[in-house]
Amino acid sequence: MVREPFHLSDEDILLVADGEVSRGRAKQARAHLTACWLCRSRLAELEGTIADFVSLHRRTLDPQLPAANGSRALLKVRLAEAANTPSTGPWMRFLEWVPAHRAVACICAVVFLTALGARLLLQHSQLPGATPAEVSFARLAVPDHHLTPGATRPVDIGQVCSMAHEEVVRAVPSGLRQEVFKEYGIVDPRPEDYEIDYLIAPGLGGAEDIHNLWPEPSTAPKWNAHVKDALEERLHQLVCAGSIDLPTAQRAIATDWISAYKKYLGDDQYVSQNELELFPSEQL
Amino acid sequence: MPPTDSMQDSIRAFPVSVSVGSSTKPSEIECAVIQLFEEFRNPLLRYVISLGLSLHDGEEIIQEVFLALFRHLRQGKSRRNLRGWVFRVAHNLALKQQMANKKALVALDSDEGVAQRQPDATPNPEEQAASGERLARMQAVLRVLPEQDRCCLSLRAEGLRYREIAAALGISLGAVSIALARSLTRMGRVDQG
Repeated sequence: MVREPFHLSDEDILLVADGEVSRGRAKQARAHLTACWLCRSRLAELEGTIADFVSLHRRTLDPQLPAANGSRALLKVRLAEAANTPSTGPWMRFLEWVPAHRAVACICAVVFLTALGARLLLQHSQLPGATPAEVSFARLAVPDHHLTPGATRPVDIGQVCSMAHEEVVRAVPSGLRQEVFKEYGIVDPRPEDYEIDYLIAPGLGGAEDIHNLWPEPSTAPKWNAHVKDALEERLHQLVCAGSIDLPTAQRAIATDWISAYKKYLGDDQYVSQNELELFPSEQL
Repeated sequence: MPPTDSMQDSIRAFPVSVSVGSSTKPSEIECAVIQLFEEFRNPLLRYVISLGLSLHDGEEIIQEVFLALFRHLRQGKSRRNLRGWVFRVAHNLALKQQMANKKALVALDSDEGVAQRQPDATPNPEEQAASGERLARMQAVLRVLPEQDRCCLSLRAEGLRYREIAAALGISLGAVSIALARSLTRMGRVDQG
């Protein structure tokens, strides 16, 4: 079915029906469903297909399932055997299996290789002079998708493309900012270190909802809030130019904004912008 | 059906340390494993059979899953979301078995010169007679869906939440959502010819 962009996508309808969206997003979507016959009839179609699939799944598989008695009895025997076997950790099993002098040699080799690997990893993951705080910022460059899966509000492309600048860069209320820090376990943050950022930007229909916000490091050496702003701007341009549709842009930025950056802006632009961010004095 | 918190509560309730010895009385962990077997044996067996495994292979995988669960609990490892855990283990064992079966089949085919099998979206006469026209067509569509989409559908039909499906299959939440929407759309089109 060809559907206009201001209606809910099949994916959105399914997420709402399955209770997989935030309370705020669910409320908005249900309000849309109440008002929109087209989306409601699509919901009914999807529910009908689900009912048919479940019926098919059970009708074809249930008759094949034998009674559990034999299987249960066998499991009980195997469990009793397993329970009478002393529980040994992997190291003990390893030492039982390998002669002592070989075990010592293996352990020394593992320790050496681990130390070597860790050193190489640190050399590649840290910029010269990077502090532990910078390393932890790098980890927050992408949100925890369990806490911040992204949330949108029902908007059409006309609204998105005619938004005032202050709406596009809408500030997050102070109370909500504190909630986000708390959710991410960040105590007493320095304001200059983090930007409480929208995963899906308001300019792309992102909602002011805790599920769409995370503490994005402003000063992270690589992927930081300023780099993401450039992506948001680019996606906004592409949506308004009709090059991509709004749900695609929302999905791209919510799923993996760094991959989206590479796709829509390219690695080269990232490098040049990142260099400018990192070494502003060298521009002179 | 959404996950029941009562199941997780009941799991958390039993003690970590159990006596391990030659006692003939089942330990508390054995009892807990049997209790979970009662709850999840059928959903797990349906799932692994839906992946195309034989009943024999499926039953053996279920045994392995619950023995692995016993070892997992005995080592004092996490008891959070054991439903997701057993489905993840069952999925991995089923994939391993599928690979072994495929290797055996390839060896057989090359021995006998049998042409490579291709999935066919046409419902066979048994399917049509057994399930009615629409369900038979749906079954045919289901057969040619990508394996990941079929796994997502089957796991959702067994009541797993998106997060549990993502963990079981090792994919993102977004990928689960897309797979479910895509496959339901394709199956819903069976009426359109």
